[in-house]
Amino acid sequence: MDQLAHISPLYTALFTVVAPFIAFLYQAMAGKRDQSGVISLIGIILSFIFGGLTWLTIWNHPIVSAQINWFTIGASTFKVGILLNNLNALMLFLVPTVALPVHIYSRAYMKGDTGIHRYWMYLSLFCFAMLGLVVMDSLLLMYIFWELVGFASYLLIGFWFTRETAVQANKKAFIVNRIGDLGFLIGLAIIFTQFKTLNLVDLFGEGGLIYQSSITGGLWVSPVNSMDQIWLTIAGLAFFLAAMAKSAQFPLHVWLPDAMEGPTSVSSLIHAATMVAAGVFLLATVFPLFNESALLFIAIIGTITAASAAYFALGQYDIKRILAFSTISQLGFMMVGIGIGTWDAALFHLVTHAFFKCLLFLSAGAIIHEMAHLKAHSHLGFDPQDLRNMGGLKKYMPKTFILMSVASLALAGFPLTSGYLSKDSIIISSFEWALSKGDLYLIIPISLITVSILTAFYIGRLIFKAFFGDFRMLEQVKDKLHGTALHEAPKTMLIPMLLLGICCLFPLFSLNPVSYHDSWLMHGLLLDEYTFAPSHSAHLIIPLILLIGSVISWTIGWKWYVQNKYPLNASSFALKASFNQGYINELYQWIFVRGTLKLAKFCYWFDRFVVDALVAFIQFIVLSLSQLSVWIDKYIVDGFVNAVASVAYWTGNQVRLVQNGKLQTTLYSVFLFVLLGLIYLIFF
Amino acid sequence: MPILSLLIFLPLLATAFILALPTRYKSSYKYIALAFTAVQFVLAGICYVKFDASQTGVQDLAGYQFVEQIPWIRLDLGSIGKLEIDYLIGIDGISMPLLLLSAFVMLMAIGASWNIQKSPKGYFALLMVLNMAVMGIFCALDFFLFYLFYEVMLLPLYFLIGIWGGARREYAAIKFFLYTLFGSVFMLLIIVGLYFSVINPVTGAHTFNMIYMMNPQNYLGDSIFAWDGYQEILGISARLIGFVVLFFAFAIKVPIVPLHTWLPDAHVEAPTPVSIILAGILLKIGGYGIIRICYSIFPDMAALSNWWLGLIGVISIIYGALNALTQKDLKRMIAYSSVSHMGFVLLGIASLTAEGVSGAMFQMISHGFLSAALFFLVGVVYDRVHDRNIYSFRGLAQLMPKYTGYVAVAFFASLGLPGFSAFIGEAFVIIGSFNAASVGTGLPRWMALAGSIGILLSAAYLLWTLQRMFFGEIRLKGGESWANELTDVNSREQLILFPTLALALLLGIMPSLVFSNLNASVLNLVSFIQQFI
Repeated sequence: MDQLAHISPLYTALFTVVAPFIAFLYQAMAGKRDQSGVISLIGIILSFIFGGLTWLTIWNHPIVSAQINWFTIGASTFKVGILLNNLNALMLFLVPTVALPVHIYSRAYMKGDTGIHRYWMYLSLFCFAMLGLVVMDSLLLMYIFWELVGFASYLLIGFWFTRETAVQANKKAFIVNRIGDLGFLIGLAIIFTQFKTLNLVDLFGEGGLIYQSSITGGLWVSPVNSMDQIWLTIAGLAFFLAAMAKSAQFPLHVWLPDAMEGPTSVSSLIHAATMVAAGVFLLATVFPLFNESALLFIAIIGTITAASAAYFALGQYDIKRILAFSTISQLGFMMVGIGIGTWDAALFHLVTHAFFKCLLFLSAGAIIHEMAHLKAHSHLGFDPQDLRNMGGLKKYMPKTFILMSVASLALAGFPLTSGYLSKDSIIISSFEWALSKGDLYLIIPISLITVSILTAFYIGRLIFKAFFGDFRMLEQVKDKLHGTALHEAPKTMLIPMLLLGICCLFPLFSLNPVSYHDSWLMHGLLLDEYTFAPSHSAHLIIPLILLIGSVISWTIGWKWYVQNKYPLNASSFALKASFNQGYINELYQWIFVRGTLKLAKFCYWFDRFVVDALVAFIQFIVLSLSQLSVWIDKYIVDGFVNAVASVAYWTGNQVRLVQNGKLQTTLYSVFLFVLLGLIYLIFF
Repeated sequence: MPILSLLIFLPLLATAFILALPTRYKSSYKYIALAFTAVQFVLAGICYVKFDASQTGVQDLAGYQFVEQIPWIRLDLGSIGKLEIDYLIGIDGISMPLLLLSAFVMLMAIGASWNIQKSPKGYFALLMVLNMAVMGIFCALDFFLFYLFYEVMLLPLYFLIGIWGGARREYAAIKFFLYTLFGSVFMLLIIVGLYFSVINPVTGAHTFNMIYMMNPQNYLGDSIFAWDGYQEILGISARLIGFVVLFFAFAIKVPIVPLHTWLPDAHVEAPTPVSIILAGILLKIGGYGIIRICYSIFPDMAALSNWWLGLIGVISIIYGALNALTQKDLKRMIAYSSVSHMGFVLLGIASLTAEGVSGAMFQMISHGFLSAALFFLVGVVYDRVHDRNIYSFRGLAQLMPKYTGYVAVAFFASLGLPGFSAFIGEAFVIIGSFNAASVGTGLPRWMALAGSIGILLSAAYLLWTLQRMFFGEIRLKGGESWANELTDVNSREQLILFPTLALALLLGIMPSLVFSNLNASVLNLVSFIQQFI
């Protein structure tokens, strides 16, 4: 152990990243021959160990970085390197910590799938990409891993590629993420133009280039270049566009609910705990770049996302979709955290959310797993993910019930859970921020409080509908099977869930269960100073409002869903709009997909009937001209030649008549020529 | 060892062998072609290894490597002066990577020709003549010699498309031939004009030497393309006309919108190996010509007109991508995607920044073997069922898993996934053209932003195709019999595909393999042109 501590954190970080990559390479080569996934598991265990070591050595220690030359283009050299600061080390440890339970869980969950070798391969690739993203020291490298993460997610969403919905979903995910990638690329171009480097330490490190630049006289001036100040805002928004796509912010959130077509274990790892957090991580990394207007925009988008996603979550019946929308909503919270300048709070929520959301998905997976078994055994055609087919599962799956409830409480921000600490940190900060800004800004904290209570309601609805009351499929199943054949998930699935469950409670993050200020995590990431003054009354009142609000919402939920006193009209527009996600998908389909296709069709029409027709027209002109010249050749040029010949022939013919041997003809012609000669002599 | 001459004329020897061997040995033709091309590839590899990356090239003959200069034609023309044509060949950082690429793509093309049944003698003989011509184009430093190779290249291509092509092969062949000839005929006029404008400072005779043409001091004061004495033709600067005419000659090859319509037709009708050569090498001759000839001989005009070139590049990127989106014929889709990807080359060249021009060069190389791989992949399916319609296939992933893997890698590589070569090319074209406004080359920033839309659209059309053809449940137009015909890729096909895609990956991870050889030449070129801004 003593020796281990002396290994440079650079090497441990490198091992953390490379271990899943080796697993990926192995699985890619082994193909179908190895379906066990043992190597992938070992890879992630190694990652977990080395990631932990790295984190231990780096946390609250000076920044470590190292780099080697990669390539030179023109006069600028790009380097490959690792950067380890508190933020990166935390992420480096977080990713394998969440991924490890998912790997163990997958062994049971994915058992017997014919493509399981691909599953392990993709999963390892994803872990590699995500780990690479968090330790790279240049924006170019981050961009590379950023897209690789998207690529791995494409593969995993479309894992069951014979399903039409799955391949539609992965295409959608990749293309929407591509929109964000363009933002990243444009951001890169702006940064490179302005600073001539993409290295994070040079840019954002202490006294880095970004701090040396300023706005002077309408120009954004850096030590090496200057451009109009609008580009500073555009750079911030470009990076935010990237984060919007990856972290599923409104209006680019549409890919995430569809991404639930992937295996549930994948949803829990990628679409809840890690990949979607990459956007928040990116914004925290480039945070010094944002100016006032960019930050305000981020906060507004975050609020809209949090609110709209919570609304959409209310009307969903698919258990995974509810969780997907709750992920989007929570990501909105994190974005608000960034937007108000407290990216440490955003990161704190990112970490706690990673655990409880992962657990929520894994629990949902356990339910779906059992429901799918029931479906297979009973030969009934029902949707194993639909809440309307569940109910009363508490009886059959008590452990899952307890674990999922813990995670739900954390999501709702109930005291003693980790979610309480982190969510409060964002809401209270936003309140303090709004107070310092002006009354209009209070819309943001008030919306967040409302959304928080809605969150408690929709997650309560999920729990009540799934676990309480009577099992709704009981009657149908009874005839087919003896008993219900529903039972607790296997141990391989439960143990990782238990580990995650422990991570959902407060002691892991702060020994003081009520104050987020005491959290080690916040201490480690602590910003020098917030731009606003703390408000002590907010620390007391807001948690109280949230707690009371949640309890009330659960009481209502209990009445509606457990005691079946449902007062609302299910076909009302508000509920329908919620179920259909506000018809945003239809709108996009109509405007963007159809619009682009129409434009493309027009372009092709233009290509054939204008551009190519022009070529054909030139061909026609040339052919016509050549026909004309053929005509001229035949009737004019050659006609003249023929005319000359005809004249000569005719003349010859006429003259021939003279030579007929008769004397009088000869004399006559002699006379004629003499006459002609005389006329010539007289007149000319 | 005159390595470049060997490289150029080895295929002629192969042609001689193939023509001399009686037809009863016809199965050996492909081996002869393969052997000679392999030797060529080794020679090109030697060039790469021995290449001195610090040499600049471009407008400085001393900076060229492997130079061979032999007086070729010397004619005393009396009052006009002496005709001076040299056999002058040499390579710099700009031509060397393309030379290696050509040798590689030629190998692929021979591999793809393995099952040619229709008169293999003529086929391989023509292929070798074509091989000689393209190598010559990348090496020639004498404009007369360049033009000679340029025209010689057309002849075998015309027959290769016109005889071994698809249903509408005659139409496509004539269209291709006339289109290119149209450009090159006018090029000849400019060559003659340049000849009479430039003198060899050593001998005092007029010369076709391209390097001399790049030096303003070698121009006669009152000549048509003179730098000092401003000449006009119909009220337009003569030098501008010279630049524009040469640009269009090469732009047809690139091809740019709206001079691109020969390309989809030629690709669709051409047999797979010819498509591979067309996309892999021929289009690059366009980009190479613009850099080597238009930009280097008329740097003042290049600096003047790069806004328009950038615009053409952006239009090609977006227009090509949109057209690709709506195609039903897989090969036509890839042909249009070539138009889009080559638009990046033009945009990068127009940026006149080191990043942009290097990015453009890298994009040419990357597109060279990626598009070759894509056309090869189309050929795989077409060989089996003689259908290329996207909607005739569905769920191929279950029938041909390995093939699907290769297609997916090739698609993702060409849509610019990081880790593959196309990403480096496109990203640096965008970064370079964005940077152009700060350097002051006159390329506005919106062009970089507009160009990036092409990256988004390429994801759309490639992923959509992937979804339509390969995923979902199996549904084939030809039903059960097709399912039997559609066997997975065989080892010959894998032998060609694997190295190609591995190369795309290698260059994506280690771009320095190309950049380190490019840098000196590109920096020289950029500073050479930037002095005229």
